Amino acid sequence: MMRTLRELWAFFWRDLSIARTYRTVFVLEAIEALFGVAMFYYVARFVDSPQLQHALPQGGSYFAFSLIGFVFLDYLNAAMDTFDRSIEEARDAGTLEHLLVTQTSLPVILAGSAAYPFAMTTVRIAVYIAWGAVLFGFPLREANWIAVLAVLLATLLAFSGLGILSASYLLLFKRGNPAKWFLLGVSGVAGGMLFPISVLPDWLQLVARLNPVTYALDAMRAALLGGEGFATVWRPLAVLLAFAAVLLPLSMLVFAWALRRTKTTGTMMHR
Amino acid sequence: MCSLARHAISFGVPPNAISVEGLEKLFPPARSGWRAFLQPFEKPTVPALAGISFEVRPGEALALLGANGAGKSTLLRILATLLLPTRGRAHVAGYDAVRNARAVRRQLGYHAGSDLGFYARLTGRENLRFFGRLNHLSTSVIAQRISQLAEQFNLGEVLDRQVRTLSSGTVQRLSLARALLHQPRVLLLDEPTRSLDAIAAAEFRRFLKSEVLRRGDTSLLFASHTLSEVEWLADRIAVINAGQLLACDTANALKQKAGTPSLEEVFLCLTGRATHATAEESAE
Repeated sequence: MMRTLRELWAFFWRDLSIARTYRTVFVLEAIEALFGVAMFYYVARFVDSPQLQHALPQGGSYFAFSLIGFVFLDYLNAAMDTFDRSIEEARDAGTLEHLLVTQTSLPVILAGSAAYPFAMTTVRIAVYIAWGAVLFGFPLREANWIAVLAVLLATLLAFSGLGILSASYLLLFKRGNPAKWFLLGVSGVAGGMLFPISVLPDWLQLVARLNPVTYALDAMRAALLGGEGFATVWRPLAVLLAFAAVLLPLSMLVFAWALRRTKTTGTMMHR
Repeated sequence: MCSLARHAISFGVPPNAISVEGLEKLFPPARSGWRAFLQPFEKPTVPALAGISFEVRPGEALALLGANGAGKSTLLRILATLLLPTRGRAHVAGYDAVRNARAVRRQLGYHAGSDLGFYARLTGRENLRFFGRLNHLSTSVIAQRISQLAEQFNLGEVLDRQVRTLSSGTVQRLSLARALLHQPRVLLLDEPTRSLDAIAAAEFRRFLKSEVLRRGDTSLLFASHTLSEVEWLADRIAVINAGQLLACDTANALKQKAGTPSLEEVFLCLTGRATHATAEESAE
């Protein structure tokens, strides 16, 4: 266990050390977040009305509703990108083979490669929400932070499975990420990001109920805006964990198979 | 534990550093256009290795000599657990390279001979620390090994510079330091002096001979196109052509059998290129 943690820390430290050599990126991303939040605030001011607020699940402002949807899109994007980008970068830099001849197991290499990007995405989300709270009145007083953390963790686990499946595709076919485009596309329409899924036709609501993003957003809005605890969020949380319980082992099996296939065909380092 | 390792331990005989039996490797044919999309699922039909068998004894240095595309890198990559053989067996320090790949990785150091393979924006020391950690070395052992290897490889002054600022030769030395960091029993080197200048290559060879091979606890299997390097470093030479092992013996024995004092001529003669070379020379 300690050894695994040390290995994960080594990956995190590697990525942090590399990121530290590009210092201005942190500042630029914080500024970008400010503009993003401001844009959502003014769009919300334009469309907000008592009827709209009444239609939203937590009855709050459209600004708070849509900002959570937007930052979660970032999380989903990171989950779908992180694993295959780390494989792609390792392949291009020639480090992939050197990672695979170490004594560290494949699941740890994958988890380690995702540790820093996930941490940074979480920080980025926090920056977005902090800008929203400080400058535009995003309501944080009600938030149940323990439930928020639990939802973040469950979301991370559920989305990671999808990211690893996407990395398996990259290993085999070298380019493209169809799962990402499909899921982001579906989630944009049927995920409850920018509008509640209750406005969708019945069949699209059914699609939304098969999408982990819907549950992540329901739970996050309930915990962050409604201040709900586990008594309320346990249901979407359980669904997210069920997604993770199915997707994570399945994705690891698929990835191991894809890696084995590239070892058979000799295409691991092909671009 | 695999059967070979168990057998060796029960009889008190150290297993061969490397043992390869009837190793075959087929790759799927290269495709272009829309059929390239299906390549991961193509049946492998193109032979790269055609039933190779040999051993490397503990402490021995064996050179793989062959033309481009002969199968040297494929063989090394199978032993490094980066490729799966189609048929046959490969053992490293008694462990099966397919069934017990993790145990094999514990025993070997791998150097691919290119100046890629490092995180360019990290320093040499940070890179070595990272790979040391992934090879389960403790912080103190990593620090101790880095300082030993830095001294042996003359890396002291450049170790704290970002890898992207280092010359090819220095990165090669750094790569060999990484391969040796966890003190492996078997060292696999694929054209280790490929991108080194003559002086750096000579230093590199001297280091291998004096610091790695002299101790006798590390076995070396390396591929090279440089005949003088092969002759100077290797105890035995395996000549490979089109995936087949043509001969495996000491340089002197190979020369004697071929009736020539030159390793180059032995190689040309064994690979059937001698007639071609002679014809070209007469034409000139």
